[in-house]
Amino acid sequence: MIPSYYEFSNRAKVLSGEAAIDHIPFELKVMECARPIIVTNKQLIELGLLKVVLRALAEGGVQVGAIYDDVPVDSSVAVVNDLAAVYRDQGCDAILAVGGGSVLDTAKGANIVLTTGSEDLNEQMGNEIIVARAMVPFIAVPTTAGTGSEVTGAAVIKDIERHTKMGFVSYALVPDVAVLDPRMTVGLPPRLTASTGMDALTHAVEAFSCRQANPLSDAYARAAIDLVREYLPLVLEDGRNASARLAMANAALLAGVSFSNSMVGIVHAMGHSCGGQCSVAHGDAMGILLPHGMEFNVDHAGPRYAELLLHLAGPEVYASTPAADRAAAAIETVRAMLQFTHERAGMPTKLSEVGVTLEQLPGIATAAMNDGSMTFNPRYAEESDVLQILKAAL
Amino acid sequence: MASLMQVGPGPAKRAKRLVAGVVFGVLGRGTVACARLDERVRTEVMTWPDGTVITLSISPGSPRTTIRWEGGRLKALGSKTDAESTLLVSFKSVEDAFPALIGMKSVLQPFAEHRATVKGDLALAMSLVRCLHIVEGYLFPDIMNRRILPLPAKREVGHLRAYVALLGTSADLGVPSAASAPSAASAVASSGTSEASGTKGDTA
Ligand SMILES: [Fe+2]
Repeated sequence: MIPSYYEFSNRAKVLSGEAAIDHIPFELKVMECARPIIVTNKQLIELGLLKVVLRALAEGGVQVGAIYDDVPVDSSVAVVNDLAAVYRDQGCDAILAVGGGSVLDTAKGANIVLTTGSEDLNEQMGNEIIVARAMVPFIAVPTTAGTGSEVTGAAVIKDIERHTKMGFVSYALVPDVAVLDPRMTVGLPPRLTASTGMDALTHAVEAFSCRQANPLSDAYARAAIDLVREYLPLVLEDGRNASARLAMANAALLAGVSFSNSMVGIVHAMGHSCGGQCSVAHGDAMGILLPHGMEFNVDHAGPRYAELLLHLAGPEVYASTPAADRAAAAIETVRAMLQFTHERAGMPTKLSEVGVTLEQLPGIATAAMNDGSMTFNPRYAEESDVLQILKAAL
Repeated sequence: MASLMQVGPGPAKRAKRLVAGVVFGVLGRGTVACARLDERVRTEVMTWPDGTVITLSISPGSPRTTIRWEGGRLKALGSKTDAESTLLVSFKSVEDAFPALIGMKSVLQPFAEHRATVKGDLALAMSLVRCLHIVEGYLFPDIMNRRILPLPAKREVGHLRAYVALLGTSADLGVPSAASAPSAASAVASSGTSEASGTKGDTA
């Protein structure tokens, strides 16, 4: 399938593997940077993850300009502006973000402020409107294998005063370097491993079946799902398995490249609003909602799901499943994966298990309709459709 | 080195920009007309923050059309206005806008294909797209609507009444009550209107 028009970009240089973090000093030198600000949070420092990075920088003769460890769970305008101010005050010349989604989003927000010189982030809100010859050099080190934020051009930042969530989408936000080092994820507890893994899987499935899917993003999505199929069970069995951890980090990155270009759909729209309205963890919402979203889409995305069976279930299952049954089998495989993570790591399988109530569903449905991801879903959904899917997932 | 060739956009692209300008004008007025005629559009508009100024344009800046929602009144400001947009949808080129404007493609398509940029709140852009789907249902014949609308067009009044309504440039909907403010996490809270009643007007 080839769309009438598409765009694709993946400008991040990827460093993947053993001692990848020890290459950061070299990458900084190549970008003519000498004084990075490190963006992270206190929890990661306590876990000892930052020490790995600091040792590598020290060994490589890099002078750290500042360590900003005040990033909260939800990134906010105040934190972004604060980070930008520290960067300027300390005379930094690069951003080195070490963390999960909120750390990377905060770093992207600060990069917008620093690059555009904009005092008000609101002015930069939107889709593809950031205009800059070059952004501040930006290296991302993810500490979970899920969001893919290290290669995506999207950031969400809360404006607490105005009670809004600001969305920023631009290729300019993609980090220059993405560093995947198994040392960053070997300590991830099974529950979080499962949840972030299901997020990565959802990125790949949605990117592959959404309206902007294209041959380039497809290639990344297929590769991502192959890795999830093979390695998610392994990392849940033994979290210290470094090569399996690295494979899952690669899966998340591949899925990130895919959806950064061809976007996500209704599962993310509903998941974002479950997060916003009921504080459901993003990966949990993804795991719960993915099979339901696929059911809803199957009449429109059936052939795409059928193709995905090859990657979700492997070549033997694909070959032995009649063509007409493959789409349904793909959905069943996703259900089975969720069930597996439930048994192995206690992943929730219903919205009610994560505290969502029937009364909250209409509010979630309304919010989902206003989520930009709805635009890309293969099947147009009305609010009543969304409500029905949510009820089925309760 | 070859000398610089003076090549203009050519007659085809100029004509497309002219047509786009006309359609933009109709879409602006059509949205206002539908806010008067159609409950669904009215409900969408009532969730917009007071002072919302929405502009549709084609890069580098024209043609364009602007509508403003302020003090309970939705007004089509046309192409010549100084009002600063709070939501600016800009097609990257005339070729990106044209198929959607003449009813050859869905308005969702340019968004899904990286053909338009959106400056402002993406949740508001989603509301605008839903409105435009309804507006198109009134403006275009169903034979076209079947191709460009995600669902069959539903109309609360006939085509003819909608065309006549295009003559008006404003709709007084009344100030929204707090209860009608969107519950979307991403929606801007419409503050300061809690004491006003949500009366609906139908002044042409
Ligand atoms: Fe996600």
